[in-house]
Amino acid sequence: MIEVSKLSKDYRDDGTVTHALRDVSFSIKPGEFVAIMGPSGSGKSTLLHILSFLDRPTRGIYTFLGNDMQTLVDHELAYTRNKEMGFIFQSFNLLSRASVYENVELPLLYAHMPVGDRRHLVEAAIESVGLSDKILVEAGKLSGGQKQRVAIARALVNKPQIIFADEPTGNLDSHSGAQVMEILQKLNDEGHTIILVTHETYTAEFADRLIKIRDGMVESDIRIEKRRHGGKDFFK
Amino acid sequence: MLLRDSFKTAVHGLRHAKVRSLLTMLGIVIGIASVILLMSIGSSAQSLILDQVRGIGSDLVFIVPGATKGSRFSSPPSAQGIIIKTLTERDADALRREQSLLAVAPEVRGQTKVVYQNNDLTVTFGGVTHEFFIVRNLELSSGRTFTETDVRSFNHVAVIGSKLAETLFGSQTAVDKTIRVKNLSIRVIGVLDEEGLGPMGVDQDNMVLLPLSVAQKQLLGIDYYNLVTAQANSAYTAEFAQGRIVSVLRQNHRITDPDKDDFTVQTQEDALSLLGDITSIMTVFLTSIAFISLVVGGIGIMNIMLVSVVERTKEIGLRKALGATNGDILQQFLLESMLLTFLGGVIGILIGAFFVTLAYLILSNTLATGWAFSLPPSAIGLAVTVSTLTGVVFGLYPARKASRKDPIEALRYE
Ligand SMILES: Nc1ncnc2c1ncn2[C@@H]1O[C@H](COP(=O)(O)OP(=O)(O)OP(=O)(O)O)[C@@H](O)[C@H]1O
Ligand SMILES: [Mg+2]
Repeated sequence: MIEVSKLSKDYRDDGTVTHALRDVSFSIKPGEFVAIMGPSGSGKSTLLHILSFLDRPTRGIYTFLGNDMQTLVDHELAYTRNKEMGFIFQSFNLLSRASVYENVELPLLYAHMPVGDRRHLVEAAIESVGLSDKILVEAGKLSGGQKQRVAIARALVNKPQIIFADEPTGNLDSHSGAQVMEILQKLNDEGHTIILVTHETYTAEFADRLIKIRDGMVESDIRIEKRRHGGKDFFK
Repeated sequence: MLLRDSFKTAVHGLRHAKVRSLLTMLGIVIGIASVILLMSIGSSAQSLILDQVRGIGSDLVFIVPGATKGSRFSSPPSAQGIIIKTLTERDADALRREQSLLAVAPEVRGQTKVVYQNNDLTVTFGGVTHEFFIVRNLELSSGRTFTETDVRSFNHVAVIGSKLAETLFGSQTAVDKTIRVKNLSIRVIGVLDEEGLGPMGVDQDNMVLLPLSVAQKQLLGIDYYNLVTAQANSAYTAEFAQGRIVSVLRQNHRITDPDKDDFTVQTQEDALSLLGDITSIMTVFLTSIAFISLVVGGIGIMNIMLVSVVERTKEIGLRKALGATNGDILQQFLLESMLLTFLGGVIGILIGAFFVTLAYLILSNTLATGWAFSLPPSAIGLAVTVSTLTGVVFGLYPARKASRKDPIEALRYE
C-alpha cells in the first residue's frame, strides 16, 4: 500500500540546510498498525506529512496505492487525502465553534456528498467513538479526550483505507489516552491501516510493527507482539 | 464542495464574527443607500422638470437674442447675463405676420421689489402682452388678464402668482389692491392659478406680470426683448415654424451667413432633450460620487478579509488536510465577502428606499407640484450588482491568499 524508497527532505532556511529525512526506505502493507518512534526533531512529523500527502519529498520515490506521488498534481493529492486518508493530530484541530456533527461532516463536504447520504455516515462515526449524546454540542466545549474522539470520528467518517495519527495521545491524560488507543485498535481490527507517531512506549505497544527514526534515518524496523487492552467494557 | 454547503460554511464564518461583519458591511450600506437615494431623487427631479416643461405646450418655439455657439450645451449669451439688444418690436411684428404662427408673445424680465403695507419682497417680474396668457396656457383663479389697451396705454395693472398673492394679502382678496412695484403704484387685476415652475425655471407662483410697455419702458428703460415665445399654428409643426422664424429674422437682421445668426430659435423638443441631458449628467455625476464611498467600503472589506484569513490560517490548513482544494478555499472566502457586500447592498437599498420615501413625503408637500415617488428598478438592479461585484473584486485578493496557504505551514500556525 505504501512504498517509500530513498526518501529525503531538506529544509532550507536562509543559508542553513536541515536534512530532516535522509534516504528513508520501507513499505507498509494494508491492515498494518505501524508505530513510528524517535527523539524530538528526528523527522517523525516530516515523514508523516509526506506519507499523508501534505508535503512533498525533496528526493526519493513515494508510491501510495500504486501511484507515484511525483505524478500527482495538487488537487489529485487533495482528492486522495479526502478519499483514502484520515488524520488525527496532537492538538485535535477541530473547528471549535462548530458542533460535533459539523466537525465530523467536514471531509464529506469536500467529497461532494449529497446531504441525504451524509447524515447516517456522520451519525455512525460519532456513535463508534461513543459521543452520540454530544452530537450537537460545540466542539470547543468538550474535554480533551472527547475532542480527540471527535477528531477520530472525523478521520474515519469517509471510510479511509489508512489513518495517520501524530501523537494523538500527547495532550491527553492516561485514561483518555487509553480510550483513544482502544478506538484505534478497534479500527485496525476492522481493517484500517494505521500509522501512529508517538513518544510513549505504552501507546506504541498497540502496534504490530515499530519503526524507530533517528536523525532522519530509519534506525530500526521491527515486528512486535501486539498488546491487547481493556475490551468492550472499557467505556462503561 | 457543493454550492449549498459552501454557502452554509460562508454564513457560519460570518456569524462567528457578527459585530465585525456588521461594521464591515456599514461602508457598503452607506454607499448603496446614497446611490439609491441620489439615483431616485435624480430621476424624480428629471421627470418633474420635464413634466413641467411639457406642460407649457409642445407647439411652442422660443426665440432668444444671441447665437448659441459650439455645442448645444452652451447657452445663448443672453442667458449668461450678456445683454444683447437685437430682438425688438420690429421682429415681433414681422413674426406676427407669419402664417405658420398662431401667436407671438414677446416679453422682458427682471427682478423687482414688491411692497404691500408692511410686506415687501423681491420677485421676478415679466412684461408681457395678452398673447402671453394664450401661448403659456395660463389660467387665472380670479380677476382678468391684460387687454391690448392695457399694453398700449401703459396701464398700471398687474397679474400676480398665487403664492405671491397669499404672501402679500393673506386671506384677503387680491384683486383691486394696490401694490408698489419699484416706484410705481400698480393695481392688481388678476391672480394666476397654481402653475409651478415655468421655462427657465421661473417660479410662476411668485411672479408679477405687468403690461409689456410698463415693464419695458418704465421699469427697465430698454427697447429690446429678452424672449419671444411663438406658438405654431395647428396646421404646421413646430419644426416648420422654427424654420420660418429663422428665415424671417435673418431677413429682418440682414444676415446671409447662418454662422452669424444673432438669435437662437429652439423648439420645445430641443429644450426638453437639453434639459433631460443636463439632469442625466447631474444624476450620473452625483451617483459617481456615491460610488466612491463604495470603493472605500470595498477596501474595508478587503482589509477585514485579510485579517480573517490570517486568523483562520489553522482552519484553512485543516480544511486542506481533509481534502479541500485551493478552489474550495477560494470559493469559501469569496462567498464570504460576496455575502457580506450583498447583504450590505440589500440593507443599503432598504435604507435608501426609506430616505427616498422620506424625501417624497417632504418634497411633495413643500413643492406641491407633482414630485413623483420614484425608485427606479435600474437603481436597485445596479445596487445589487455593484455591491456583489465589490465583494468579488475586493474579496478576490484575500481569498487567493487563503487558497494558496501551504497546509503544513497553516496547521503549524499558532
Ligand atoms: N518548515 C520547516 N522549516 C525548517 N525546518 C523544519 C521545518 N519543519 C521541520 N523542520 C526541522 O526538521 C527536523 C525534523 O522535524 P520534525 O517536526 O519532523 O521532528 P519530529 O520528529 O516530529 O519532532 P517532535 O517529536 O518534537 O515532534 C527538525 O530539525 C526541525 O527543526
Ligand atoms: Mg512531531
